[in-house]
Amino acid sequence: MRYLVLALCVAATGVAGAAQAESGTDPDWPCVQRKQPHLSLGQMWSGPEPDEAVGELARTPKIAALADRLEQRRLPLEEAEAEIAEFAKTADDRQLTALMVAIFDRVEPHRAALIAGIARYGHKQVDLAQRIDAHRQKMEQLQQAEAPDFDAVDAQEEQLDWDMRIFQDRQQALTYVCETPVILEQRVFALARAIAAGLE
Amino acid sequence: MKVSTAILTSALCLGFALPGAANRVFVSNEKGNDVTVLDSDTLEVIGTYPVGARPRGITISPDGKELYVCASDDDLVRVFNPETMEETHTLPSGPDPELFVLHPSGNPLYIANEDDNLVTVVDTQTHKVLAEIPVGVEPEGMGVSPDGKVVINTSETTNMAHFIDSESFEIFANVLVDSRPRFAQFNDAGTKLYVSSEIGGTVSVIDPETQQIVKKISFEIPGVLPEAIQPVGVRVTGDGSKVFVALGPANRVAVIDGETDEVQDYLLVGQRVWQMAFTPDEKYLFTTNGNSNDVSVIDVAALKVVKSLPVGQQPWGVVVAPN
Repeated sequence: MRYLVLALCVAATGVAGAAQAESGTDPDWPCVQRKQPHLSLGQMWSGPEPDEAVGELARTPKIAALADRLEQRRLPLEEAEAEIAEFAKTADDRQLTALMVAIFDRVEPHRAALIAGIARYGHKQVDLAQRIDAHRQKMEQLQQAEAPDFDAVDAQEEQLDWDMRIFQDRQQALTYVCETPVILEQRVFALARAIAAGLE
Repeated sequence: MKVSTAILTSALCLGFALPGAANRVFVSNEKGNDVTVLDSDTLEVIGTYPVGARPRGITISPDGKELYVCASDDDLVRVFNPETMEETHTLPSGPDPELFVLHPSGNPLYIANEDDNLVTVVDTQTHKVLAEIPVGVEPEGMGVSPDGKVVINTSETTNMAHFIDSESFEIFANVLVDSRPRFAQFNDAGTKLYVSSEIGGTVSVIDPETQQIVKKISFEIPGVLPEAIQPVGVRVTGDGSKVFVALGPANRVAVIDGETDEVQDYLLVGQRVWQMAFTPDEKYLFTTNGNSNDVSVIDVAALKVVKSLPVGQQPWGVVVAPN
């Protein structure tokens, strides 16, 4: 049991260490992916640069409503692409750029909130790893006593088991958690490609 | 009858060989644990083949007979027959091989071992380790001079390009570059060495003769946050006139004038563009796009992206068969 805890703690610091190396210096980022706090439009768009008027256009009801629909991940990509192709039949480059801006303005805050959530998740794991370590030390102390209080040892062990189970579950979920920003990026990039295909 | 069969066979063989301008393109898919093979002429997928756990670095022998794949999580290099994609043997690599470079003669292979700060040198004929060269912390990028006399290793944490004598296996110079150097590439004339720095966001141009940095190329793309610009793969045309730099999550490939080292253009490719490879005639440059799971095909003369080809999960490395 003790070795498992030790291994877990080593794994936990190992993960944190790797992430730190991967992302530079940020301890708030438990993922292997390099941290990118914000997306920028130019990462997916090489069409016309949007000016203020295009920004206004992006907020008009028709384009805003279309962007709302396209951003939803439950709308399959093929259907989204078909809707964009339909829109592109009558839309000029400014309107297409406005649609891109409208989609970007929806996805970016959503993604930024996700990134902040991952930081909280990472911190919770670090806290939990420290608590597991404290339980372990406490158990050792109790066991080394001249007349060990076995009830207290059992209570500690139960706490330890629970904390470790939660830690492991969360650690396994981390892979998926870390991939969510990427999934959002993939969608907005695919939409951008479909919109760019309609440019003159 | 026999004669006609022979004629038919040779005609068939000719027919098969005729699209000889076509080369096989091999793409390692880091997450898919396989290699996607493409046809450089039709730009279509020929097939996908399993190659071991977490394939990243990929290269091919100068005669086109052996395909080498860094199976990072298997801690070895797997060798395949490029025609059949059957595994023929493995090579020892040390732990977690990520990137390697082949001596211009086809032997030996120089492998960066990120975890234990070594470059492992392996004889591709005898399959034996010839040397283990201690380098900086987290070795990553590998390059070799066109004459095969100098091997370059870049270390991510030490932020250096190490110049290694390929005869003595000794480091004879260290050049400090920007943060997290990823890749090292000589031009064919051997007069310039390009080292990309992922976090620093620059490419250092080094004079191999004096081991001095002669220029630092930085990148600015309208509408792209600077932190998204992360230079990784570098390729130079045979005449040295154009340098292509993959800019990671900026999703662009920078085109640089090889004479002046000035950026000429940025091409939008796919997401998290990582490594690149030319066809032997340099008509096309293929880029691996790790997050959009595709390969972009750049027309080198026109400097245009002509096609995106879906490949496996998380494409990482790419190599084109020489024949």
